[in-house]
Amino acid sequence: MTNRERFQAVLNFEKPDDRLPAIEWASWWWDKTVVNWQSQGLPSDIGFRELAPYLGLDQHIQFWFQHRAADCPQPKFNGGPICEDEDGYEALLPYLYPDNEVDAAIEGMKALKEAHDRGDFPIWFSVDGGFWFPRTLLGIENHLYSFYDEPELYHRILDDLADFQLRTLEKVYSVLTPDFMTFGEDMSYNNGPMISEDSFNEFLLPYYQKVIPYIKEHGTKVIVDSDGDITKMIPWLKHAGIEGVLPLERQAGVDVAALREAHPDFLFIGAFDKMTMRRGVEDMRGEFERLLPVMKTGGFIPSVDHQTPPDVPLERYYKYIDMLKEYAEKAVK
Amino acid sequence: MSILTEISENLQKGKAKIVKELVMQAVEQGYAPEEILSKGLLDGMNIIGEKFKANEVYVPEVLVAARAMNVGSQVLKPYLEQAGVKAVGRVCIGTVQGDLHDIGKNLVKMMMEGKGLEVIDLGTDVAPETFIQTAIEQNCQIICCSALLTTTMGVMGEVVKKAEEAGIRDKVKIMIGGAPVDEAFCRQIGADCYTPDAASAADAAAAFCAAN
Ligand code: B12
Repeated sequence: MTNRERFQAVLNFEKPDDRLPAIEWASWWWDKTVVNWQSQGLPSDIGFRELAPYLGLDQHIQFWFQHRAADCPQPKFNGGPICEDEDGYEALLPYLYPDNEVDAAIEGMKALKEAHDRGDFPIWFSVDGGFWFPRTLLGIENHLYSFYDEPELYHRILDDLADFQLRTLEKVYSVLTPDFMTFGEDMSYNNGPMISEDSFNEFLLPYYQKVIPYIKEHGTKVIVDSDGDITKMIPWLKHAGIEGVLPLERQAGVDVAALREAHPDFLFIGAFDKMTMRRGVEDMRGEFERLLPVMKTGGFIPSVDHQTPPDVPLERYYKYIDMLKEYAEKAVK
Repeated sequence: MSILTEISENLQKGKAKIVKELVMQAVEQGYAPEEILSKGLLDGMNIIGEKFKANEVYVPEVLVAARAMNVGSQVLKPYLEQAGVKAVGRVCIGTVQGDLHDIGKNLVKMMMEGKGLEVIDLGTDVAPETFIQTAIEQNCQIICCSALLTTTMGVMGEVVKKAEEAGIRDKVKIMIGGAPVDEAFCRQIGADCYTPDAASAADAAAAFCAAN
């Protein structure tokens, strides 16, 4: 079975022949973690994309399409605004939705088509979602106010976003069919959703309903990437046509077994409590034991529930990978 | 409906302009500034806090309500000062060094203000020394530390240590919170109080200040 076939099997709730995929889903590693590992023996010339196969994990290739041109004005501080109102948004438009940057990424995709067709690795792509993207424009805090202060602007941004993404999707599918995709959102936190169901339905639902059917038509699985406790939001997401979530953050209280029971047909990626990796090998084994029954139900790829934290030594991470593969096999036996 | 109830209800809906007008009207009608504060503004914020705790309202609703409260408080401030009304306590709050997450910290601040506490906001990436220095110079009864990263939560332990070294540990309560923090960690580092959400944090802080 090829790497890609294994992925496909799980995404279709079928059993892979040998084992589940063994991945770190977050292809963007925490920079501090990598720096620490380099001081512990990891060669420093290994790029982010080569890191997973180097460490012994299955490769998967992510394309995150840029929604702002490289020369777009930057926020003055982390999470700060780059536009404040409708006029600001209009002034910013020349820098947004850069079709030419998508074209460049599509060229990169073309170069990988043969290997993807051969089954060497799954390919997935990510787009800035209807919560995330306005947040990058309006700034973390103003964005939360904007549901009340700037509802028309919010709708306008999401209309433009949907148009851009539909254009992008057409280009993607002219080259190949990615195995899954994510809407980057981060719209939940430790105590649940950041916004109400009413706000979700008023603002995000129409946007999702414009973009999602086209993706599903092509057979790419549609997943939402949202940290924190997503439990309460899953029914809202399902209603919007979404087929799965990641990373199912344990520290925020997500109980993947309970979720599986409530949603037998929903895809899950993540759920492995990163905090156990900080504590040691025994805790990690306990964590795999917790996840094993759900791994057996299919439609679930276990993986660290966000980036591996910097205080996990490289040696322990290797042990984690060994265990991940051990349980990935157990899950299909 | 009394004007104070109207203030509370409009505050809960985040109607800052209306709250401002109503507070001015209430002053003109001769209501005591303290009463406008407690039965109007703080009452509204309390209700929002409880609803937030129960996941009946979410972050945007809390933010717009808190903004309405601030607008109302600004109008009321000179009258409160004239009447000699003091804040029920003084708190300094910040996100610890190395950490830039501040939505939670801001909510805690707003909820505490909603309990009538004066809150000094030190912002994000705050060094342990800054918490201690502020607590000493500004006479704070409580230091509040927020951390969202496992890599920065350790700084909270430093704050406790520095408070001991500065000889103020028995005079100041140290409250901690944020996504990776829990009760066990609070005990481990010798802090005084952990709560999982902003409304409970404000309850705990107000209770502490009332007892002292
Ligand atoms: C939004 C967000 C961001 C935003 C922050 C913007 C901002 N201005 O705040 C951005 C995009 C900038 C960001 C950056 C990063 N983030 Co971040 N982020 C989040 C996210 C999704 C939500 C946090 C949030 O805003 N919650 C909403 C508020 C309302 O909740 P809260 O902060 O928890 O506060 C509540 C309670 O905790 C409590 N509370 C908070 N403070 C206090 C204080 C006291 C005294 C008390 C009593 C109570 C209390 O009351 C609040 C309200 O009820 C979380 C996921 C999560 N599970 O929380 C990840 C998360 C915190 N981030 C994470 C990471 C890894 C990062 C980065 C390191 C990513 C990277 N590799 O670059 C950077 C770090 C930047 C830095 N140096 O700080 C990880 C941390 C993991 C770990 N091992 O520690 C998390 C947990 C995601 C995850 N799934 O693992 N992030």
